[in-house]
Amino acid sequence: MSLALIEFKEAALGYQKGRPVLTGVDFVVDSGAFWGILGANGSGKTTVLKTLLGLIDPLQGKVLARGREDARARFGYVPQKERLDPIYPLSAFDVAAMGTYRSFEPLARFRRKNKRAFIENCLDDCGAAALAGQPYSALSGGQKQRVLIARALAAAPEILVLDEPLSGIDASTQKALLELLNRIKHEHDLTVLMVSHRIREEKSLFSHIAWVEDGRVLVGKAAEMLAQGRLAEVFWSEL
Amino acid sequence: MTLLAILKPDFLLHHAVYGSLAVGFVCPLVGVYFVLRRLVFWGVALPQVSTAGIAFAFLLQGLGVRLLAGQEGHEKHLAIIGAVLFTAATIFILAWYERHGQGSNEGRIGALYAIAGAASILFVAWNATGESEMLGLLKGEIVSISEADFHAMLNIFAAVTAALLLFQREFTLVSFDRDMAVALGRNAGLWDLLLYSIIGLTISLGVMTVGPLVIFGLLVLPAMAALPWARGMMALSLTASALGGLSSLAGFYVSYRYDLPLGPMIVCAAFAAFASSSALRALKHLWVRPKSY
Repeated sequence: MSLALIEFKEAALGYQKGRPVLTGVDFVVDSGAFWGILGANGSGKTTVLKTLLGLIDPLQGKVLARGREDARARFGYVPQKERLDPIYPLSAFDVAAMGTYRSFEPLARFRRKNKRAFIENCLDDCGAAALAGQPYSALSGGQKQRVLIARALAAAPEILVLDEPLSGIDASTQKALLELLNRIKHEHDLTVLMVSHRIREEKSLFSHIAWVEDGRVLVGKAAEMLAQGRLAEVFWSEL
Repeated sequence: MTLLAILKPDFLLHHAVYGSLAVGFVCPLVGVYFVLRRLVFWGVALPQVSTAGIAFAFLLQGLGVRLLAGQEGHEKHLAIIGAVLFTAATIFILAWYERHGQGSNEGRIGALYAIAGAASILFVAWNATGESEMLGLLKGEIVSISEADFHAMLNIFAAVTAALLLFQREFTLVSFDRDMAVALGRNAGLWDLLLYSIIGLTISLGVMTVGPLVIFGLLVLPAMAALPWARGMMALSLTASALGGLSSLAGFYVSYRYDLPLGPMIVCAAFAAFASSSALRALKHLWVRPKSY
């Protein structure tokens, strides 16, 4: 039986009081669903994502986790890979290990044998075990994305949130990443929310779609939403 | 006089040697975050702001405002308070603007540097008393530091070092991917606040010890020299710290041996480390293919 993990209740989302980017946001993310948060660039997809992760508070209304305002879902977050500065001298393993930094453990470095095996497993799950020792900054786009997905898995999440994970990646790597996402979703029993401004390969994975446009968020089951004229119009070349 | 001789406790200027070494070891630990967060310009402006804070504290004293009971070392304590308050306030304002403000961050820091430099000179000019001693403090007067202040400084630097190493995981996470830190439920604002407080304290004490020029040099040059060779954050921090300490020692030795100004010699030594690192890196790129960590 599915459980309401996240619930947006009549929420207004944005960055400044009195100037909401999105209003009347009202939808429920059930456990086990695969949501596509779609819309054109600048439509407000990232605003939905930031509110969901707790980076910004809703201007009005509520965002509930498991039906409670004071609860927090366990997120695994995959940001846009370009957002992470390559100047840091971190290996792929170091980056993946950040997923385990959920709590303050000042002496973690002295007793991390078990944790190391866990992180290596996460990298292995994402087909990135061989990259563990490589400098993160030297990896290709697809490899970085695998490492970031491994990092999200290392956070032992119930919800995996991905921000444009396929942008700037070649078609064959995109396909491989989507297969990976589909596999880990089922193996780890995850709920997935994926922000995208396109809908080519990934449309077959979505169970639900949140369509962000003109300050509103339209939601529905993927099959129904994709059949609607408006999405077909916007994504005419992709549907 | 040999290099080993100046490290002996009976050396006349042993406070100056150990003080310079402490600043040399600790400043690069903070400087690593300046370089990685691409806040190098903060490293130029903040020591200048700290200097303005010292000059302002002396101006108040010159105007007859008594903040502390008169006793030995009173001026230095006043200077530390001024430096810490000015630096901390500036860091928090800059951090707020960096996250919420619009416009050019570099422009703001350039303006800050200009006004802090001008204010330092004006505060000194308006102060009728103790100008020469104050000028000494503005340049960093490690030689005249009292025994008690010297030990207090070492204790504070030890605490700063312990905090930077103990909380390295958290500081790295909020610096590298703040959004991920929040997604994990960490209080990114609190960790930023702690890091900025440590930065402010280190710069304030450092400026008092060796002056703003040396602090900027030690914040940036050792971290830049270590960066191409570091494999991981701990390696970067320790390598930068070691280079900073060695630069201070070499700078002090050359300064003492050839009767040259201490501050510029420390900066020259740190620059030599940076130049050597850059040259080695260029050679490596010519002959060696990149390897995995």
